[in-house]
This record gives sequence, C-alpha cells and structure tokens, in this order.
Amino acid sequence: MDVQYKINRLEATNDIRPMVNRHWAELRTAKERGEKVGWASGPSFMFPYAMGMKCHFMAGYASYCGGIGAANEVLKVAEMTGDLPETCSYHRLHMGMAEAVRKGISIMPEAILPLPDLMVAGRYCTEQSHYAEGLYRRMGIRVVPVELPFVFRKEDRLMIRDFVYRQFKEIVIPTLEEVCGKPFDYDRLSEILSILKKTATIRNKCWEFFKTKPSTWTLWDYAVSMAPVIYMMGDPVGIPFYEKLLKELQDRKEKGIPAMAPEGEKYRIYWDGWIPWAFLGKFMRKFTPNGALCIVGRYPWEMFPHPELLDPEHPVDSVVDYMYGEQAGLAGNMAPKHSIEFIGGLIEEYSIDGLVMFSSKSCRMWNLSYLDVIDTLDKRCGVPGVVIEGDMIDQDMVSDSQIETRLQALFETIDGRRKRK
Amino acid sequence: MEKVLSKITEVTSDPYAYVAELKERKGKKIIGCFPMHIPEEIIHAADMIPVVIWRSNESVTWGHAHVPPYDCGITRSFVDDAVRGKLNFMDGMVFHVRQCLQVGEFPLIIERNVKPAYMEILYLPPIYQGDPIKSYLLKGLESFKASLEDFSGKKISDDNLKKSIEIYNENSSLLQKVYEIRRDRPGILKAKEVMQIVWSSMLMPKEDHNELLKELLREMEKKTVETKKERIKVIPVGCLCQTLQFDILDMIEDLGMIIPDDDLYVGSRYFANKVRLNGNPIEALADRYLIKTPLCPTKGVWDVHWGDEVIKKLRNNDAKGIISIRVKYCPPHTCYYPDFKSKMIEEGVPEVMIDMEHEVISLEGMKTRLQSFAETMGGV
Ligand code: SF4
Ligand code: SF4
Repeated sequence: MDVQYKINRLEATNDIRPMVNRHWAELRTAKERGEKVGWASGPSFMFPYAMGMKCHFMAGYASYCGGIGAANEVLKVAEMTGDLPETCSYHRLHMGMAEAVRKGISIMPEAILPLPDLMVAGRYCTEQSHYAEGLYRRMGIRVVPVELPFVFRKEDRLMIRDFVYRQFKEIVIPTLEEVCGKPFDYDRLSEILSILKKTATIRNKCWEFFKTKPSTWTLWDYAVSMAPVIYMMGDPVGIPFYEKLLKELQDRKEKGIPAMAPEGEKYRIYWDGWIPWAFLGKFMRKFTPNGALCIVGRYPWEMFPHPELLDPEHPVDSVVDYMYGEQAGLAGNMAPKHSIEFIGGLIEEYSIDGLVMFSSKSCRMWNLSYLDVIDTLDKRCGVPGVVIEGDMIDQDMVSDSQIETRLQALFETIDGRRKRK
Repeated sequence: MEKVLSKITEVTSDPYAYVAELKERKGKKIIGCFPMHIPEEIIHAADMIPVVIWRSNESVTWGHAHVPPYDCGITRSFVDDAVRGKLNFMDGMVFHVRQCLQVGEFPLIIERNVKPAYMEILYLPPIYQGDPIKSYLLKGLESFKASLEDFSGKKISDDNLKKSIEIYNENSSLLQKVYEIRRDRPGILKAKEVMQIVWSSMLMPKEDHNELLKELLREMEKKTVETKKERIKVIPVGCLCQTLQFDILDMIEDLGMIIPDDDLYVGSRYFANKVRLNGNPIEALADRYLIKTPLCPTKGVWDVHWGDEVIKKLRNNDAKGIISIRVKYCPPHTCYYPDFKSKMIEEGVPEVMIDMEHEVISLEGMKTRLQSFAETMGGV
C-alpha cells in the first residue's frame, strides 16, 4: 500500500508570526513616532538600522506580503499604474505599494508602508537599482545606491571587496549621517552584529538537524523562521526563538520524531532559488505526498552562514566580509561557477538525493546557467536535478502542471538510479 | 552609393562568414565583445580585432539546453550560436557581467561548452556618485588591458592606445556625419540601411569602415532627396543590445513615417561619445564610460531622465512621435519603461511601444499598432 506522507508541524515556528507582525507594525507606525524610515535592498539594511531608522528590506517585504496574502492585489496596482507584467515581481510589488500610497488606491492596510526618507539600494541585481531609480523619479525619494557585484572569478574578490568597503564608508555612511543629522553609530552597528552573531550561532545548531536521517525539520520551517537573521537582525527576540526551536528539534531527535510522518522522507531534496513566499502551502503539497522533503537551499543558507566570522569590533569590515570575505563570500556563491562548488558541498554534507532549481520567470538572480549547473553536478556528484519555473509571489507565473510533471520526472530518475545501485 | 551599401549589406547579411574571413585575411585575432560598452579601443591597441556580439536571425535550437526561454533575444541567440560552434572563429570573448542579470549566464556556459582561448570578465559599474566608482572602473580597465597584453603578447603603450582611440573617434565622427546628413535630408537612406551601416561598424576593422564611410559620405553629399512633406518624422528608441528586424524598420517607413534620427543600440548610441585624446588614455576611456547620456537604462543613472533626453532629440529633429522598441525579456528597459511612458504623456508626445521578439511570429499585430499610431499623429 502507498505510504501516506504528512508533515509533522513544529510548535516553535508558531512564535514567528507575532514577531514578524510586530516588526512590520512598528515600521508602519514609525513616522507617527517621528522616526526616520529607510528602505533597503541587498544586505545593506544594517547601516540604516544602526542609525535607529525603521527599515524595510526588499525581499523581506515581498515575503511578508506573500505571507499575508496581499501580493496579488499590490501587483495589480503596479500593472494598473504602468508596470509591465514581466518585470521582476519584487520591483512591481514595491512600485504597486508606493503608487497605492501616492494615489490613495486601497490595498490591504498591513501591506502599506510609509514612504522612506532614504533608500539604501544595494545593487546585487540590476533591478535593485531600477526600483530605487523608479521611486526616485516618481516620488523624489532620496537614494543612496551601492554597487554589489557577484564575484565571477576568485582573483577579482579583493578588488571588489575594497570597492564595496569604500562605498559603505565614503558614500553610505556619510549620507546616513546627513539624513539623520547625527554621526554614524558604530557602537549600535557592533551591537547589532553581536546579537546577530548569537542568533545565527544557535540557528546553525538548528541547521545541523537537517543532516539527521530522517530530517527533523524542513526547509519551509526554516524559511518562515528566517526573519531574525535577516530584516529583524539586531532584535534580541531572535535568540529565545531559535533556542526554543533548537530544543524542539533536539526533543524530536531523541524521541525519533521525523519532520515527515510516518517514518521520514523518501527523497532528500536541495532547493535552489527564492522561496515561493506566496505559495508555500501549494509547493509543500507538491512534495509531501511523494515523500519528498526539501532540506537545504542556497538562498536560505546565505544568511550569515558563518557567524563565527562576524567581528563586532570591526563592524563595517565584518559586513563587507560577509559578502566578499574569503571564507563566507556570499557574492561569490551567486556566480554560477562557484555555485557548483557550494551546492556540491551541500549535496555531500546533507545526503541530497535530488536538486530542484526554482527558476523565477521574473528574476534571474539565482537561476543563472541552471541547466549547466545541474548537468555539471549530476556528472560530478551523481545527483539528478530539474528546473521548475514559477515566481515568488506572482500567481500568474506559476503553472502547476508543468511543475508537477518535472517533479515526477525527478522522483522517477532518483528511483531509477536507486534500483541500479 | 550602391557600391558602398552593397559592401555593408554583404558584411551584415552573413556576419559569421564575414568575420571568419576577416580573421584569415588580416591574420589577426578576433575578440567578441558583449555588450557594446566594452572599450574596444584597448583590444584594437593590442592588435586584435574587436567585434560586438550580435543576434542571429535564426530560431534558437541547442541554446534551449542552456538558457531559459524567458531570456532576451540576444542572450538566447548568442548562446545558441556559441554552443552550435558558429562562433568558433572567435579567439576571445569579453563579457560585461553587470549589464543585467542575463549576461551573468554567459561565463559558465561558454567556459564549460565552447571556451575560447581568451575569456575575460568586466564588471563595469553603474554611474553612481563618488570616487569609489571611478577608481574601481579604472582598476577594472587596467586589469583588462593587462590581460589583453598577456593574451596578445603585445605591450599596449599609451601612444598605441591613443592611436586606436583616434581611429575610433574618427569612426564616430564619420557616423555622426552620416546621421547629420540624414537629419537634413531624411529619406536619403532607408532606416534599415542606417542600421546596417552602424552594425557593420560593430563588425569591421574601424580603419576599413572609416574608408567605406568616407566614400559613402562623398556620395551622400552629392545625392538630393525629394522631400515628401506628408511623411511624419518619428524617433525609434531602445532595442537594447541587438539589431531590430529590418522588416520592422521597413514597415515603419511603408506606413508613411520617416526616421530622421534614432536612440537605438545599433544606432546613434554606439558612436555618441568620443574619447578625449589628452592625458592618460585609460582614464579617458573611463571618463567616456561615465558620461550619462545618451542615457542607458543599464547604467544606473537617475538624475537624468531618459524621456527628457529623447524629447530633446525629437525636438531637434522636428519629429512628431516616439516608437519605443522594447526587447522582450529585457529587464533594464522594461523597468524603466513606465517612467518613460509617463514622461511622454506629461509632455504630450505621441509614443507607442512595440515588443521586439527574437522569433517574429506575425508582424500583423505590430502593423496595426503602428498604423493607428501614424494615424493619431495625422499621418497617412
Ligand atoms: S530581479 Fe530578483 S534579485 Fe533582483 S530585485 Fe528582482 S527579485 Fe530581487
Ligand atoms: S537586451 Fe536587455 S536583457 Fe538582454 S542583454 Fe541587453 S540589457 Fe540585458
């Protein structure tokens, strides 16, 4: 008889929603308290945070909107006000929200943010610049842009690191000082990094449980728990949250409770690309009945995977090294060639059976050269992969039948290889 | 004029055969550059021939095994050409990987499948304020120069580089002259011929192209054009990184519109800015890159509005309307477009957008749009 798989839900993750809601509520009401507001993209938000600004983070806002079910109507406003449907959906989401505020178009109140005093536009991808440019042109919002190139060749790393460091020191920090009318608060930046370091250290202990077979939790559990290491960094509430989560995972391991009932996962899946924020349930339902469990992914893994390298004594260097350091090097992992090494390492460490590359039709950040990456990894590690197409928040770009067919093909390939072994 | 134009048509109708033959004839190495922002002058000074990578007119086949269908035409077409071995005559390739995310597809695919003897990556920055941008750009260009010296085995002296800059500047002046004459006598060349002239400059050694242009200009000076008053002047804008299908340019003209000038990639953008000859030549090349106009939506400029620039061009040409040509799946243009459109509405400038797809399925829909656009401007 076919096994009926289902997910054992974690208790600890129930605590995240109120924390996240509080964060966004505080941002929504910041202006009422006379606080300055920033919007940020790329990992540049710790700088406005250090100045006491209430700050939004581009991808974080998208995940929040996706989570509360507001994405669709905000995207519609963007289209109504001129954006073309093939534009990056995060870009459209922000344009839609800003236009809703400007033109008084009604959207879900929780999705409305105050327009910022400053945008810190970290430009990993060019669209992160385009949305800031657009908001400047349409609403005159002040922008401080920072170019954040991916590192395509290891020998370029130091040149780029130096460049990025100089942009933060010579451009971003002085602009923040001007906008906020006070000297840059290095002490607060150090404090934020200390809190982040503690939070990410405990989070890493939780990650270890993805190595257990069967796994005690899922990538989706982690995805919904990411806020304390991204846009809520510096808020100490992340520490007890991850401590509670860690305890629950330890308990599960001791009691032999897997993430996937009844007896654990049949396929251990690596997930590449963005998280489909608006469709988490929908995607889980495509994996779970097949006994497939997503456990690791490059994007969720990028959030300060090496807390031991964070050095609050040298906060600006630390932030830059998180992106361009020799050991952590987030911006390196984004270049397709280095992603092969990185994913290859995860395949070994987490005993991965198959790769799912989630290719967002409106964003190419993670999906560069996917087919070549899959082919190389298959030849190198013997692990098959598929590309599924969709979007993080735009329902018009998600085709269920295509996704299901590709996933079935992946599961069959894994089965076929197992039989041959 | 026919002789020059037929030579140009020969080059552009089969650029693969032309460039491969050129390599044999000149005994020089060919370096493909993507996109046109690569400072070709440095490659020229290393005694190699830079060519700007182009879009073929064929459907994508093997390329689909490497890039998604929602990449822009040039990305898919270039990868397809490369993996099918159609570009094997290129000794080297240079990619500016910060142009947009899609260019980030190239390095791994090319390296893994059809690696040329030389492959270089340039990270040209957006034009943001402050010294870090300029010094980073300079470092990038210096290291590009060093890698070319390494590959060619030839030291690039400042004098050599200045000589190359002069040749390239001359090409820009000559192309500007062609455009000036067309502005004065629209219709002297068909729009597709102008595009072919610029495209051939992207493919030919500049010395040879300069000679062709001089001959063309002599002929153009002599030629008179019958002025057809009823024709409505329009300015095509955009079509980043690739040629537009010539049929579309013909269609614009067949519908009674005429193009006195353009703001196209394979058009006036290619030769808009010259490089100063005094001082350090690498710095001069960097300064040219940092000029904000003609505004390129890939370069992060926001204190100049693309719409304002194009309206200036429209007014200078006494033109009536703008035809935006947006390459399907080109994020930089797509993200900018709503603001461009708003500017046109604000200024009361008639504007229409057409999508340029790599594979043209039917031109009928486009024809209807363009026809009604011409009619709204009081055309035929
Ligand atoms: S294109 Fe992708 S990485 Fe860039 S802003 Fe959009 S979602 Fe983010
Ligand atoms: S046409 Fe647009 S998307 Fe394509 S390579 Fe050029 S800038 Fe990038």
